[in-house]
Amino acid sequence: MKTRVIIFFGLLVLIAAIYISACKKNDVQPGEPHNPTYIDLTIPAGWPTPTSDIFANNKLTEEGFQLGKKLFYDGKLSKDGNFPCASCHQQFAAFATFDHDFSHGFDNSFTTRNAPGLFNLAWMTKMHWDGGINHIEVQPLAPITAQNEMAENIDNVLNKLRADTEYPALFKSAFGNTDINSQRMLKALAQFMGSIISSNSKYDKVQRGEASFTATEQNGYNFFKANCETCHKEPLFTDNSFRNTGLAINPFLNDFGRMRITNDKNDSLKFKVPSLRNVMLTFPYAHDGRFYSIGAAIDHYRTGIITTQPTLDPLLVNRIAITNTQKNDLIYFLNTLTDTTMTKAARFAQ
Amino acid sequence: MKINTILVCCFLSLVMISCQKSVSPNTATGTVKITIRNTVKGNPMVLNTGNYTNSFGEQYNITKFKYYLSNVSVTTTPINTFNGRYYLIDQSNPASLSFSFEAPVDTYYSLKFLIGVDSARNVSGAQTGALDPLNDMFWTWNSGYIMAKMEGNSPQSPVVNNKVEYHIGGFAGTNSVLKNYGFIITDPAGINIREGKISEIFMDADFDTWWQGVFNLKIADNPVVTTPGVLAKSISDNYVSMFSITDIKNY
Repeated sequence: MKTRVIIFFGLLVLIAAIYISACKKNDVQPGEPHNPTYIDLTIPAGWPTPTSDIFANNKLTEEGFQLGKKLFYDGKLSKDGNFPCASCHQQFAAFATFDHDFSHGFDNSFTTRNAPGLFNLAWMTKMHWDGGINHIEVQPLAPITAQNEMAENIDNVLNKLRADTEYPALFKSAFGNTDINSQRMLKALAQFMGSIISSNSKYDKVQRGEASFTATEQNGYNFFKANCETCHKEPLFTDNSFRNTGLAINPFLNDFGRMRITNDKNDSLKFKVPSLRNVMLTFPYAHDGRFYSIGAAIDHYRTGIITTQPTLDPLLVNRIAITNTQKNDLIYFLNTLTDTTMTKAARFAQ
Repeated sequence: MKINTILVCCFLSLVMISCQKSVSPNTATGTVKITIRNTVKGNPMVLNTGNYTNSFGEQYNITKFKYYLSNVSVTTTPINTFNGRYYLIDQSNPASLSFSFEAPVDTYYSLKFLIGVDSARNVSGAQTGALDPLNDMFWTWNSGYIMAKMEGNSPQSPVVNNKVEYHIGGFAGTNSVLKNYGFIITDPAGINIREGKISEIFMDADFDTWWQGVFNLKIADNPVVTTPGVLAKSISDNYVSMFSITDIKNY
């Protein structure tokens, strides 16, 4: 009797499974098995859960990641072939542009803002210095189509990929068939970019008890926690907010930051708080790269802030008192945020 | 055995529920076909060569005219045939001027839709089909859809090449341009959907409504509106009265 019941229920479960799988929506053409290798994004211990699950509708797979990586490094995404995503987002510079205030784009043009590093994007709520981009998947549309960046249109990019000898097979292994469309391209790019996590700097090792700060670094960390932590919140070293840090307006750019997106004058001159992870690699600093050294950026907070700007962040109205010793300590601490595991990872390299 | 039978029933009904679509497969359905004619002051819109004059005496032509409709449904108590598809109506693409969806057999006295793309879909990453950024209705610098777009030229426009460009978008906050639109059908015949048959709804969308109504849109003052904000919102307040039902045919 018992055996019969078990068999009976076993059959029921089978029928149910067939039923349920039958009503699932499926992109895959019938008869073509699609078994990608699903992978999980590993959240570093002690880190907050990402505010939005960027892979909720874009299941992370090894095949999708590898396709995204190939696209990221491929000049075909630009008009003349010279400007892959990686031309401005260099791994050795934590995926920012090394030693450039502005990056170079098509036809000898400059970008109008400093290229940010790309890491820990799963925790980033909005992209761009002004937060204009609300989802990692639609982010690449901006640089690909901007005339002073990759200068291409999406239709051309897709046609180049379709004509390529390798891409149709790669799209098939990632998505089940050889169709190449903008959504798939963007989802693959999101899989690559969203997988780049920086969590193995000396600072991280200290947090995990695997290393210890020198006295100078510890002094710098103490100063940081007392004076910088509110905006550059650990462990991501940004609170993802938009703030005016009292920079003089650049008359060539007339960049009012967040206000362009919100049309709210209260957002005038506000820019996204950048993460300080890998900060020693991402110089020059500020949205227009005006500070060529970390020392110059720190000096801005102690002597440079224009305190008369109406939207200046309330935390900065008195500037920040920093002695030369404290500045030195702080720089030593910021050095511990460099994560060479990420910048040298073969997994993220071309 | 009795318990087994009950369990089986529970099980199967759960399975059935998990498979249910918005319209139950057992319900007889017919087709709602919506056909749109874009007009200017009641006359069929002619791209490029049509010469038009707005209520402020400004002359203009139209080179592009397109807009999104979504959340389209015919309703009657208690049925709301919610339709999760997105339609890009494009005057340059005749195939886009009509679309169809299935609805349960019944007589409906209301047609509803959203002008634009609902806010959730503006923040959900890369989309495809009508929402593919290839359709040139997605802002790359300020994520979100252009809900309605008109481009043309006017001698009254002071900008380069006398251009007129209205790219109306913005889905959040007080300046959202999203407009829910509903028609109550007073004809007692209503939208009478019969099994396997088509009910066709003919609508006019008159561009002339963009110029006035709630806000006086003068080309000389505002030839270009291409960002979300108060102006875009004001224009959407005008164009919400763009649509009218001109005929319903129940086959």
